[in-house]
This record gives sequence, structure tokens and C-alpha cells, in this order.
Amino acid sequence: MNIILRSFSILALALVAGHAFAHHSAAQFDFRNTILITGKVQEVRFANPHLRLILEVSDEARGTRDIEYEGHSRNNMRRQGLMPDMFRGGDEVTIRIAPMRNGEDGGYVTALRTPDGAEIGRVTGAD
Amino acid sequence: MKTFLVKNFFASATFVAVSLFPTLSTAADTPDFSGAWTTYRGNPGAPGGPSRFMGGELKLKPQAEKARQDFISVTEGTNHGAGNSCVGSGMPGSMLGSGGYPMEILQRPEQLFVVYEAHNEIRRIYIGDEAGDPNDYFPERNGYSTARWEGDRLIVETTRLKTQVDSRYPHSDQASIREEYYFDTPLLDGTPVLAADLVMTDPLWLEEPLITTKRWQALSDYHVLTYECTEPLWLDEMEGLYEEAGLEMVQE
Repeated sequence: MNIILRSFSILALALVAGHAFAHHSAAQFDFRNTILITGKVQEVRFANPHLRLILEVSDEARGTRDIEYEGHSRNNMRRQGLMPDMFRGGDEVTIRIAPMRNGEDGGYVTALRTPDGAEIGRVTGAD
Repeated sequence: MKTFLVKNFFASATFVAVSLFPTLSTAADTPDFSGAWTTYRGNPGAPGGPSRFMGGELKLKPQAEKARQDFISVTEGTNHGAGNSCVGSGMPGSMLGSGGYPMEILQRPEQLFVVYEAHNEIRRIYIGDEAGDPNDYFPERNGYSTARWEGDRLIVETTRLKTQVDSRYPHSDQASIREEYYFDTPLLDGTPVLAADLVMTDPLWLEEPLITTKRWQALSDYHVLTYECTEPLWLDEMEGLYEEAGLEMVQE
């Protein structure tokens, strides 16, 4: 798989909640019950209108597989402090996602922890 | 003493604001709305009121409601949406939704150039003699906008809209929108506040006009960004071509 590093950024959750500049329906995501996911970056595309991130994730229930997530726009992620080249293929990262309501893999990235430990969005050590 | 300090604080704040923000009038003695604007948040620590005042709900006629529901039935719970395809909101959504992503105005005597950062959506509002006959132009999602000054207020009339069901504000191609832009009461620190009263009428789709007021506050140090959106679509297409040809794609 090509490791693609293209542009990037995160939209403040407040902006999402308050402004609701929805590019598509968010009904498929459960924003009330976010969870943390850790995995290895297989592909990341920092783009508008949405981030696309593919992580290699392992868990007991479903084993090891690649999961695709989407997230906030490049412009808003940039305003949250994310810089180009913070993420590279092979990096292990932690993200907070609004999981799929139907229980399938995937979800909407609301926050993430950069490889050097910086936190952007709502990922915290207490979680 | 306290009064003196307060007066001086506001005098200083006003001086700073005047220094940071665009001038409020042009040589032609009309207000200059140029600058970057975000959603109105009011004075820090004090209730500022909403950025929008709704004077009425969007009341759709039956055929409009059916068209709207048809759209919802094929998109609800999916990734399909205009914005997800890098298509702008169109009026009045582009104007009423601006602020979360900033709006930038560049003003010339004959034209107001409005850039809504989201989707790189652009409106050209032609003023005075620059304004053409709307019927000479193709319909677009943001329509064709002409304007005139009435005192310190810019009256903008928009027609030549396209029928839109993929909007939070559905309307037919017979819709027309009137906006009235003016400077509202600035914040206590002198930050300018821009307001626009909007009325959308649509004899085909609306039972009654949509009436609302939108407000923004100026941004002094904001870096409005471009909004590249379509490139990934092209890169995906390009990647497919290269894979099919068995070639290595070096462009990312």
C-alpha cells in the first residue's frame, strides 16, 4: 500500500457542534460515546472536506486489520495546531473516534495524539 | 478615578481596534466591509446574543417538502452530500453558514468580493453600473447578485438561483434573496460587528418568506486559508490510471 502523506488539519469539536457545517450526514457516527483507538499509520491524507486515515489496528475480537477513518477538515485541523508532517506511515498514533453506530469498524476522528506526545483535540491521558 | 480609567481603557481599545481593523469608510464615504469575519460571539464574559435571529421558520410547500424528503431518503446515513463532493452550499446557505469557517470580504467601489473559506466558495456582488442584467447570466448555486447603497447600508439582490434540495434552505429556481448589510454596534473593545438582514422569497416552494439576521465579528489576526478540496478526487482518479497501466505514480 502506498504510504501517502498529503495535507492535514482538525476542526475544533466546538465548531463542529456549534456550527454544524456538515459535509454529509453524521447520523452514522455515535458522537456521544467516543472511544480511543491506537494503531499504526498505514495511510493518511490530510484533506478537505475530511481527513482520511487508515490505521493497522489489533484487538482480541477481530484480530489485526486495516481500518479507515475520516475526520475533520484540513483547514480546521490546522487551526487546532496540527502541522504538516506530524504523521508518517508507520507511526503509532492514538485517536479519539465517534464509532460507527452499526458496530462496524471505522468512525469519525475527533482528536488525536501526535507521535511526539502532543495532544490535539480531546485525547487525554485520563482516557 | 475609576471612570477615568474606564474611559481611557475604551479609548485605548478603540484606538487599537481602529489600528488593527480595516477603515470603516472609503473615499466614497460608504462603509468598507473589507476584512475577515467570524461568527458573532459578543463581548467576552457577557452574553452577546445569538449570531442569528430567526424571524420565521422555513415553511415549505408540499411539493418542496416532497423534493426535500426524496433527497433525505437517498442520502441520510451515508457519506453523500454536496460538501463531501467539494460543492459549495449556495445561497443562502453559504452566507448563513459562514463564520465557523471565516468569511473574507474584499471591497471595491464597483464590487464586493466575498470568499467563504469553506469550499472556497466565492460570491461577486456587483455594485452600481458594474451590475449587469441577471437574465443575461446562467443560474448558479449562489445566483447573480447586484447591489446598491442606501445610506450606510448595502442592499444586495440575488436572483438566478438554481433549484436546490441539497441545502439546509431548500428553494426553487424562482427564489430571490434580499440582503441588507450594515455595521452593527461594535464590541466594547471596538471590534467591528457586521450584520445582514436576509429575506428569501420563493413563490413556488415557500409558504412564506424566510426572514433572518446574521451577524459576524471582525478578526484582526486571522489567517484565512485556501480550501483545497478537489485535488484528492483527481489523485484517486490518477492513481487508478497508473495502476491500470502498471506504472508507478510519483505525484502525491
